[in-house]
Amino acid sequence: MRTIFITFLLFCFSCNHLIKNEEAKVEDEVLNNTLEENKNNTSITEKPLNIKPINKAGDIIGNWVGWFRKKENSEKDYYEDKRDIHAGEGFGWGRENKICLVIEKIEGDNVSGHSVVAGNQRVFKGKISESDTSFLIIANEPGDNKYDGTFNFYANKGDFSINGKWKAFKKIEIQEREYKLSRKNFIYNSAQQLSKESYKRYIDWEKGEKEYKKPKNLTEEEGEEFFRETSEEFVSATEKIYEINASTAELTKADVENLTKGDLLIIRNMIYARHGYSFKNRPLRVFFDAQEWYIPVHTDIKKDLTEIEKKNIQLLLKYEKNAKEYYDYFGRG
Amino acid sequence: MGAGLLIFIYLLLLISLQYIPLRNDVAFLILKENEIKNIHYQIAFFTHVYTSWFVIFFGFFQFWKTLRKGYKKLHLCFGYIYISLILCLAGPSGLVMSVYANGGLIAKTSFILLSILWLYFTYKAYIAIREKNFALHEKYMLRSYALTLSAVSLRLFKMILANTLQLPPMDMYKIVAWSSWIFNLIIAEIYIRRKFPELTTSPTAP
Ligand code: HEM
Repeated sequence: MRTIFITFLLFCFSCNHLIKNEEAKVEDEVLNNTLEENKNNTSITEKPLNIKPINKAGDIIGNWVGWFRKKENSEKDYYEDKRDIHAGEGFGWGRENKICLVIEKIEGDNVSGHSVVAGNQRVFKGKISESDTSFLIIANEPGDNKYDGTFNFYANKGDFSINGKWKAFKKIEIQEREYKLSRKNFIYNSAQQLSKESYKRYIDWEKGEKEYKKPKNLTEEEGEEFFRETSEEFVSATEKIYEINASTAELTKADVENLTKGDLLIIRNMIYARHGYSFKNRPLRVFFDAQEWYIPVHTDIKKDLTEIEKKNIQLLLKYEKNAKEYYDYFGRG
Repeated sequence: MGAGLLIFIYLLLLISLQYIPLRNDVAFLILKENEIKNIHYQIAFFTHVYTSWFVIFFGFFQFWKTLRKGYKKLHLCFGYIYISLILCLAGPSGLVMSVYANGGLIAKTSFILLSILWLYFTYKAYIAIREKNFALHEKYMLRSYALTLSAVSLRLFKMILANTLQLPPMDMYKIVAWSSWIFNLIIAEIYIRRKFPELTTSPTAP
């Protein structure tokens, strides 16, 4: 009798995957931030933007924002780099990330500051030298992180931007990067909404990579078709993501109950993006980097969240968890 | 068909077992945080989830000829369980929950109507058998059980929609709130009309 009962119980649990996704886990980088206390966490200047052209070394102090692109070594690289990620027509990502480079101090020929990119904040120290037409800065990151390297950039006199290269110390996937950065100051604006103009659809790139490995024996055309079809699957946000602001008002059940998984995810992470959070999560990073107003300035924003935002985050997380657990399954939820 | 249905009945058992031990913060109740604070909703909810499964389970055997003909006592016993559970516990509790259902007025109306029809058909089937009107009893039982099975079709339709059209959750819920039981009832009516053509002809016939 007991064995029958135990077998029955085992059988019961073996079928649970039909009514619930037991592995559902909602990831939240901000609240679960396990960063060790950032010793060199320096504040980002919130002063009015300095729009003067660069004339003397001191003019370089401040925040510089732009794309941190992988260096293309040849034309072939540009068109068919294996490191690029494609998901159908018009949804490519050439591995560029938005970077915020902060030059904090210039004393004599010593320069120091930090950069924030892809959820990683690193300090740098180096030298500045001046020629008739430009300034050249060469600065190193500490070197104890796999992704540390050397910045090497120019600021031409009379220009409003800086541009240069970066090279990793260690052997990593993308060894060299290029960038052209312009001044931008970070100001928290709770009313900031997603922009439709600079919108890049949210795509779960990683899921696409893992589950939809392109079959080898497809012709080029078939391959195109394949990506177009699979990529559509990852896009599940509605117009609601432009309307709902989780930073300005406390959301109610009625506001969130009809949102899709994609909506909930974007609306919650939009709170973090407003605070200038730099995302480690790749799909989110690609999505928010595309937003023209967005600047990654912090890697830990837990203490910046307002009471309204904290409440909304909890509500959104609850609905996200429920959606992940029950939406595709046999049940009411 | 019976075997397929048994699987769904089994899945409903798993869904119901999520609420054992009794807790206010699991599964579907996550979406009912405000309602579950009220004692009357608590009573309705747990009455419903702890009794409804037995309704669908015992009802399952009733349409099986061998049991009906060969084991009359068992049919009678299961029938008593089915009817009394619906009329006294599962039905009224479902009605109370319907008033607070998700999906706004549209879904609430559907669930309220469903609860009332469920109680009504079951009651009519009971009266019919008390009067030894077997054909009428069977007819109403088919309708009653068709509605009971809406517990399966609602969840099944939702699962199909979620995996194909991927609609926003509450839009989907409104659709299945209505389609689930109306679909079942139409099938039942078609079946009844085939099986009892005499019942559908004019009542003036001798
Ligand atoms: C046709 C008669 C039925 C009616 C009118 C009815 C009504 C309801 C209502 C209104 C809810 C709450 C939904 C909401 O708030 O949105 C509910 C939930 C529930 N019902 Fe029923 N129900 C019926 C049959 C059944 C049956 C036969 C079962 C069998 C197991 C069942 C099991 C449940 C469960 C477990 C829940 C909790 C939600 C979940 O975890 O899926 N119901 N029902």
